[in-house]
Amino acid sequence: MGPIDERTELDSDEEIPFSTSPAVRKSHAFDCEAVHLGTRRGALNSWIRKQMGFRTLRSIYIVLLTAKINVLLPFGPAAILLHYLTGKHGLVFFFSLLGITPLAERLGYATEQLAFYTGPTVGGLLNATFGNATEMIISIYALQNGMIRVVQQSLLGSILSNMLLVLGCAFFTGGIVHHEKVQLFSKAAALVNSGLLLMAVMGLMFPAVLHFTHTEVHFGKSELALSRFSSCIMLVAYASYLFFQLKSQPNLYGQIGEEGANEEDSENEEAPEITQWEAIGWLAILTSWVSILSGYLVDAIQGASDSLHIPVAFISVILLPIVGNAAEHASAIMFAVKDKLDITLGVAIGSSTQISMFVIPFCVVVGWLMGKPMDLNFQLFETATLFVAVLVVAFMLQEGTSNYFKGLMLILCYLIVAASFFVHVDPANDDD
Amino acid sequence: MDPKLQLNAIPQLEMGSLDERSVRGREDKSHLHGMDNVTQKSDFICVADEGSFSGVSRVSSVKMLSNGVCRSIKTVVFSNKLNLLMPFGPVAILVHILTSNQGLVFFFSLLGITPLAERLGYATEQLAFYTGATVGGLLNATFGNATELIISIHALRGGMIRVVQQSLLGSILSNMLLVLGCAFFCGGFVFIKKEQVFNKSTAVVNSGLLLMAVMGLLFPAVLHYTHSEVHFGKSELALSRFSSCIMLIAYGAYLYYQLKTQVHQYVPLNEEGSPSPSGESQNADDNDEEPEISKWEAIIWLAVMTAWISFLSEYLVDAIDGASKAWHIPIAFISVILLPIVGNAAEHASAIMFAMKDKLDISLGVAIGSSTQIAMFGIPFCVVFGWIIGCPMDLNFHLFETAVLFITVIVVAFLLQEGTSNYFKGLMLILCYLIVAASFFVHVDPTKDDASLEN
Repeated sequence: MGPIDERTELDSDEEIPFSTSPAVRKSHAFDCEAVHLGTRRGALNSWIRKQMGFRTLRSIYIVLLTAKINVLLPFGPAAILLHYLTGKHGLVFFFSLLGITPLAERLGYATEQLAFYTGPTVGGLLNATFGNATEMIISIYALQNGMIRVVQQSLLGSILSNMLLVLGCAFFTGGIVHHEKVQLFSKAAALVNSGLLLMAVMGLMFPAVLHFTHTEVHFGKSELALSRFSSCIMLVAYASYLFFQLKSQPNLYGQIGEEGANEEDSENEEAPEITQWEAIGWLAILTSWVSILSGYLVDAIQGASDSLHIPVAFISVILLPIVGNAAEHASAIMFAVKDKLDITLGVAIGSSTQISMFVIPFCVVVGWLMGKPMDLNFQLFETATLFVAVLVVAFMLQEGTSNYFKGLMLILCYLIVAASFFVHVDPANDDD
Repeated sequence: MDPKLQLNAIPQLEMGSLDERSVRGREDKSHLHGMDNVTQKSDFICVADEGSFSGVSRVSSVKMLSNGVCRSIKTVVFSNKLNLLMPFGPVAILVHILTSNQGLVFFFSLLGITPLAERLGYATEQLAFYTGATVGGLLNATFGNATELIISIHALRGGMIRVVQQSLLGSILSNMLLVLGCAFFCGGFVFIKKEQVFNKSTAVVNSGLLLMAVMGLLFPAVLHYTHSEVHFGKSELALSRFSSCIMLIAYGAYLYYQLKTQVHQYVPLNEEGSPSPSGESQNADDNDEEPEISKWEAIIWLAVMTAWISFLSEYLVDAIDGASKAWHIPIAFISVILLPIVGNAAEHASAIMFAMKDKLDISLGVAIGSSTQIAMFGIPFCVVFGWIIGCPMDLNFHLFETAVLFITVIVVAFLLQEGTSNYFKGLMLILCYLIVAASFFVHVDPTKDDASLEN
């Protein structure tokens, strides 16, 4: 059969992807040749093995080597090595941060590729669930270790980062590139998301204020029960939000499901680059890699805080979310530059909504199942910060327009928030 | 009063025993056109010419009176299905006298007041037919939440200031979240194909007023809790009383503005926005509804209903503490969640019905207008009333309640901004209300108010 060029190795035993490129035709021709030449069994076996080998290589090539961000991939194993060889938690933390970043991005890529095969509905659901898989994995690890404050702060930081930093950068760069006009986006979606964010803030505020005014029926326990009940309600609300989105706006969701960290320019005619099973396989592999690295990351937080002399709050709120959001950050900016602000907003605000209405209640429920007292009482400072940030962003989004000034304002707000958390520690006694 | 009753009873007199329905039919016709009254009057005069005037009138006046009263009672009391709950009122009083089961007393008086509140709204609306749009609007604006005001006044006289604050707060929350949410949800379900729209400007004005009310409530609370008053405990009360006067002026100005600039809009609100979901008054006609009882009857029923409600409220308020202990639920929950259900049941039903008829503006008027009324009129009125009777009722609703109100007003204001509605928004509001209810289920006032509230 001769040496086979990688590019023609579009597999023929699984389903054929629906792009009609010459490669497909070549593989068909190749099959006919293969059947006619030589004995079927022996030739087929070795052919299949070679196919799989080549296919795996091709898959690895497409997934791992084509994105520039994957230059950071070696930092993952380097972090694990450092963890075992030295005791420098600061370096371990830093390296695992760098190592997870490309994995998170590839995870989003795999999700998006899978969405091609599953259609807009399930694709949208996939994106809605796995869109923040990295944050969820990190949070579950931290929960298992009992680091409840880290979970709360990292999720809060993810919301703030999405709403202020990602959106601000997107507005800013989009505004500068298109500075002769004002960019528009759909007000309706932004308003619905703002409303949902406010509802999430409400769900977070009540347990916090209840606890801090010392007005619970059973001190300490009522607030946990209220958090769990509110989490279930918020999950119901998120599910109905998904249902409502998918029922009333199937096109919109399909579009958002297909975009991602993909650098192609045509949106609706993008060809999937890997097969369905490859996508699922990569999804599983990347998830497990992210899990492993998260373990080391979470273990190194305390040590890093001590050695780098920065508060744990700052690490959780500002540094950790950078990891999960790097890919969304890049894609949001890219779409803003292309004047597709609706997609940018979907990425940024949609992600915030997802975390506040799905991931946070999900973590509370997971904590409930694990027996950990994870609650919605994010302590007064964090809750106040979230409240004000949501109000500011909701007001800014009201108008339906964007320019570089609004982007700059959001980025500066984020800097203020970051500075606040740089000088914030939890009081030694929780009840103060 | 007598001549009017006699006028109404003339057809009865002339025709002998009559079927109820035809009597009512004639009454309705006679009310609708002033000409009919004139002709009736002339008929009466003709009849009077035939016999001796005074003899006929004396014998027949008693009959007419009793007939009129019976008919009136039938119209007002027996025509509405909700009035099945009416016997619960006297039952509550019996239970209170016979047993000491406060839980039952509370429950029965709750059930007993509900139909009375609805009938009170009905009587107000009927009276509004006679007084014209302006005074009718004012009537609705004042008596629309008469039940809550009456319950609050009784609680104030009993010195239960926290109950007053919490029940008024609960009424605002219930109107904004539960009533509006159910209306949006049901309307959205019925009109699932399209998005319902409503008038944005009214909603925005009401949201602004609600925010102003929240500001009026926020400052005394924060002043008290930051311990930054000039005279601890006393400044905050003085501030509350001053703010209440300001809020009453604001509400008066709002009414004046409404009535001056939106006379046309106010008429249908007046006739339909008041809580009377009974089938008879909703003939699917907007502006041509006929009043069913005469003006004086309306006034009398207004007085009668108010007296009954007042009477039952006393038992209700006295039973709150006992019910809280008997059922093992916090007083906060009873005041914030259970009590407002009573005053709002009728508004609830009418808001849902109007939403399903795609008349969202009226639903919004009922729900948000009622919230605004309580926030800008009911609460300051109670403060001023407390001032008069020497009760230290203030605007310091304590941190938790104030925070809940603040965030709720913001959430609702945002949701209303767009001017559209669908079932999802309704569902969101209902879920928010569930979260609020759950929060108050696990909320008690600290035994020492000032001790551990500083962070």
